[in-house]
Amino acid sequence: MDFTIRAATLEDCKDISRMILELAEYEKVSDHVKITQRDLEQDGFSKNPFFHGIIAEVPEQHRSKDGHTKVGYSLYFYTYSSWKGRAVYMEDLYVMPEYRGKGIGKALMSKVAQLGMAAGCNQLNFAVLDWNKASLDFYLSQGCFDVTADMGYHCMRCEGAALENLAQGDS
Amino acid sequence: MDFTIRAATPEDCKDISRMIIELSDYEKMADQVKISHEELKRDGFCQNPFYQCLIAEVPEEHKTKDGHVNVGYALFFYTYSTWKGKCVYMEDLYVMPEFRGKGIGKALMSSVAKVGKEQQCARLQLSVLDWNTPSMDFYIARDAQDLTKSEGWHLLRFDGAALDKLAEEAPKK
Repeated sequence: MDFTIRAATLEDCKDISRMILELAEYEKVSDHVKITQRDLEQDGFSKNPFFHGIIAEVPEQHRSKDGHTKVGYSLYFYTYSSWKGRAVYMEDLYVMPEYRGKGIGKALMSKVAQLGMAAGCNQLNFAVLDWNKASLDFYLSQGCFDVTADMGYHCMRCEGAALENLAQGDS
Repeated sequence: MDFTIRAATPEDCKDISRMIIELSDYEKMADQVKISHEELKRDGFCQNPFYQCLIAEVPEEHKTKDGHVNVGYALFFYTYSTWKGKCVYMEDLYVMPEFRGKGIGKALMSSVAKVGKEQQCARLQLSVLDWNTPSMDFYIARDAQDLTKSEGWHLLRFDGAALDKLAEEAPKK
C-alpha cells in the first residue's frame, strides 16, 4: 500500500489528538489523557515548540471506514545525554490497527532517526511497557537494546502533590 | 554549610564536565562519557539550548582540596507527554561526596522542580540505576514513583550502527 511520511502541520492536530486517544486506549489508559487538540496546537506549533510530529498518510482510495487518510504518527523531541550529547526521544509511535504490517511504523521510526541524526543526535530513546510484547518484539528486531533490562535504569516520576512539595522545597 | 544554587554560565562548563565524569565514575561507567566541555558549551548556551543546568556553589572558605567551589549540579531539559503536556526531565543530579548530607542535592532538585512548575510542567522525570540504593532512597523519600517497578516501563535505545541503519531506511521523499 502506498503511503507518505511527512512533517505534521497545525491542521493535523485534530487527527493527532484522535490517534493519541486511540494509542492510550491500546495501552489501557485512555482516562489519563488530559491534553487537547488546542494544547497540541499551542505546544507543537509555537516559536519554540515542545515537540515535533510526523504523519503517515494514505491516498483517498485507502481511507479508513471513518474517512481518515492520516493513519499513523510519531511525536518526538530533542533531549540531552550528559555522556553522549544530543539525543532524540520518540514519545509516541502509532499506526491504526487496520494499517499495520505494511511498513508504516518502521517508516515513521526511521524518519525520526533520520531527522534526529541530521540534527546531530547519536541516540534515539523511547519507552515501552513490558507487557506490550508486540511492540517490544518489533523494536528489538530493529536493532535497539533494552536499557532497563541490560543496564538496570528505572524510570522515575514526581507529579501532583509530590511535585508541588518538591518545588516549594518542603519534601 | 552555606551554599548557593544558581544558573550555570558558559564558564561553568569545565566544572560541569568534571562533575559529569565524577558522576559516571560513581555509576561505574566512566568510559561512557564521550562529550567534551566545548560540546557542553555549544549545546547548552546556543539560541535553542538542548539543556539547562543549575550549579551548587560554596563560599571560598569551603572550597575542596583541589580548589573547587562548584560542588554540585543538576542538568535538565523539557520534554512532552502526549497525555499530560509539558514535563521536565532531570538528566543528572550530582553532589561531590564530601558535600553530601547538607541538603545540597535536595536544594538542586527542588530548584529544578520550581523552574519546571514555572513553565507549567506537569511532571518531573528522571532515571536511577536499580543497584543505586542511596539515590533510589533519596528519590523515593521525595515521593517519586518507580514507573519501571509499578507500571512496567522500559527505556529502549538505538545508537551506533543500529541507529545508522534505521536512519538509512527512512523514506527518501
